[in-house]
Amino acid sequence: MNPELMFFIGKGGVGKSTSSALTSVYFSQTARKTLLVSMDPAHNQRDIFERNFSEKPQNVSDMLTVKEVDTDFWIEKYLKETQRQIKSTYRYESAFNLQNHFNVLQFSPGLEEYALLLAFEDIINTFKNHDVIIFDMAPTALSLRFFYLPFITLIWLEELLKLREAIYAKKEIISKIKIGKIEFEQDKIKEKLKNLIDNYESLRKCFLSDATRINMVMNNDPLSFSETFRIREKLTAIGIKIEKVVINKLKSGENVESVVKEFKGQKIIKFPLSSKSIIGLSMIKTYIENNRNVFDDWLGSQQETAGE
Amino acid sequence: MISFQSIKDKIISLFKDTDAIMRGKAVETIEYEARELDNIFGILVLGAFIGIPSPPIQITMELLPLMEKELHIMLDKVLTAHDPLGDLFSVLGID
Repeated sequence: MNPELMFFIGKGGVGKSTSSALTSVYFSQTARKTLLVSMDPAHNQRDIFERNFSEKPQNVSDMLTVKEVDTDFWIEKYLKETQRQIKSTYRYESAFNLQNHFNVLQFSPGLEEYALLLAFEDIINTFKNHDVIIFDMAPTALSLRFFYLPFITLIWLEELLKLREAIYAKKEIISKIKIGKIEFEQDKIKEKLKNLIDNYESLRKCFLSDATRINMVMNNDPLSFSETFRIREKLTAIGIKIEKVVINKLKSGENVESVVKEFKGQKIIKFPLSSKSIIGLSMIKTYIENNRNVFDDWLGSQQETAGE
Repeated sequence: MISFQSIKDKIISLFKDTDAIMRGKAVETIEYEARELDNIFGILVLGAFIGIPSPPIQITMELLPLMEKELHIMLDKVLTAHDPLGDLFSVLGID
């Protein structure tokens, strides 16, 4: 069975990392094999769990593993692999002085979210035996670019494939007229484009599948509210469903009617403000204990949706 | 006395040459189109190397190992400030 993929997204500072840490510990306590992945370059999980995490997964408990995504590592790995392929296919590679180009390319717009996507693919292929994988996402802008990437890439790939097919249709005519038959090399680029389309199609399907559960984290203030509203608009535009809205750092007696009204289609989860900082595993467990009903309610609604 | 065979050979070679020239002329425009479409494909994918907004960078990276010829042509064109109108006029036979 494939794992559930839970994403925590939201404005910077609302408590995505804390919410995802709490949820991952709670799920691990319910005998679910849980992986918590920090996709946020700020890597707050280190501060929350008071441990240094890295690309290498670490067990925090029997049922909970934590891993950090290092985008620099993935970018470097990817550029090195491309250079290796060029060295093996180019005849006059040294004439291009490609090393200089690559030194600049590592800062290209788009590479950071692509690195996150590469890490994501690696994770869903490696941790198939987990019950749930929780992604503590980067702040809104990078997260949205991450989700949009397969969709935008597919648009480009489909247009490039059409252009390539048009080119080869003309080359066929030329070949037929000039030498009376169709004779030219198989188009490796067309094959590559088709492979890329298959790959991005499966990523797109993954984001649109029921296994993908988006939790938007917000605080009960106007700026946070507006941003959460915009995130929902952006994701719904590409067909990605929002499952839950987590209102974090809620003071007792605070009115959340406007949130409930605006996000009618989503389940609202309320995390009360903690009097103490939630730092360290024992504080996390204490918070869960003190608010068990909120977490049990979460799991209950999860199972309901799964059953639908 | 010129033999019948040598006249026949000369006529056949004339036909072959004419045939090749005619076929060449017939495909000139299509060849030009195909070349320009190839260039456009190259610019779309490899635009990052000549300062043009390009597709998601990973498409460029994935196709780069397969596009040595296109990359060479593009970098060449940028360096030599190629005359695109001149090229077009010569194909269309405009003096």
